[in-house]
Amino acid sequence: MMKSLLNLGSRLMLVCLVAAVGLGFTYSLVEENIAEQELKKRAEAATVVLEPIGATPQESPELTAELQGDFPDLISVFEGMDEDGEVIGYAFVLKSKGYNFITMAVGVDAEGKVTGIEVITNEETPGLGAPAAENPDFLGQFTGKGPEPLVLKQDIDGVTSATYTSRGITNGVNMALEMWESLQ
Amino acid sequence: MEKKRTNFGEFIKGFIRVNPLLVLMVGLCSALAISTRVESCIFMGLAVIFVLTCSNVIISLIRKLIPDQIRIPIYIVVIASFVTIVDLTLKTMPAIYERLGVWIPLIVVNCIILARAEGYASDARVSHAFMDGLGIGLGYTCVLLIMSVFRELFGTGEIVMFNTTIVSLGSKSMPTILILFPGAFITFAMLLALLQWHQQRKKPEAKEGPE
Repeated sequence: MMKSLLNLGSRLMLVCLVAAVGLGFTYSLVEENIAEQELKKRAEAATVVLEPIGATPQESPELTAELQGDFPDLISVFEGMDEDGEVIGYAFVLKSKGYNFITMAVGVDAEGKVTGIEVITNEETPGLGAPAAENPDFLGQFTGKGPEPLVLKQDIDGVTSATYTSRGITNGVNMALEMWESLQ
Repeated sequence: MEKKRTNFGEFIKGFIRVNPLLVLMVGLCSALAISTRVESCIFMGLAVIFVLTCSNVIISLIRKLIPDQIRIPIYIVVIASFVTIVDLTLKTMPAIYERLGVWIPLIVVNCIILARAEGYASDARVSHAFMDGLGIGLGYTCVLLIMSVFRELFGTGEIVMFNTTIVSLGSKSMPTILILFPGAFITFAMLLALLQWHQQRKKPEAKEGPE
């Protein structure tokens, strides 16, 4: 009994081991390319949220590293530059917990007002949370608000039937505002 | 009477005689959902051919080393590994990856692949298993292409591939239902009917068994 268990287990383990090595190898081949694609996606979102103030985003690894200590959910910070290279705003790419994770970019201008929100990916329930996370009426409410943290139901009307998603996005924006505060 | 297996025979049978979609009727879910665009079908087809052929070959290679009790977990590990390879590779092409979405990871549980592993590759020669994977995969892809050409062309009025319009009917008022789920069932049913009709006509009195 014991012997056959060992026999089965070791064979299964062998197969898994070979599979793991193969997958690791494949991953190492495509890793860089995937990272590049993700950077492109982030940069696109940052461009969208900084567009209202006419700033060009530039990813800042130093600021990202600095802020990530206090805000582990931060993915990346972009500095928004005007034509003269002055920083006139920031775009924070972060993930926030709704019902599941929502990855979003939040643009904040020099006065700490939200310039725009762009949801990059959301894993919310299709048909309930997911449409709410992409609802322009809901997302549009955040524009121009801040730098004080926003409260759902007072500053922002949530989406009916998508309480968690509304909360998740509001929390994400507040996180961005906090980060902006700590950068001042 | 069992016919002798030849490489070519194993390859060609996937198109009509044991076509996974039209005859075995496995893997329908992804086929119905994805056949709205020709472009996605090409990539889905390639992904399925790759996973099916590779897992068939590997499982056939190690078939004598796999004890019966743990064959299913081993098949799943093999299949899942190949699907992950496809998944990682497609991630480098975001436009296509986003369109295929969840269907690529779901190839793991696509019945076609497990059915071929369990029902065929587990006791077939490696060369036969390879041909079987290729044939069945291509058979699947062909049906996908037929369905998607029909649905995209008549549902939207044009076929768009890689951002260029290949064929256009020049009409904007097309039966959108073809693109929606009912359209998938209708198209599939018509294909099935066509195949049945063809086979009945081919051998009118050959079938003498009980109806």
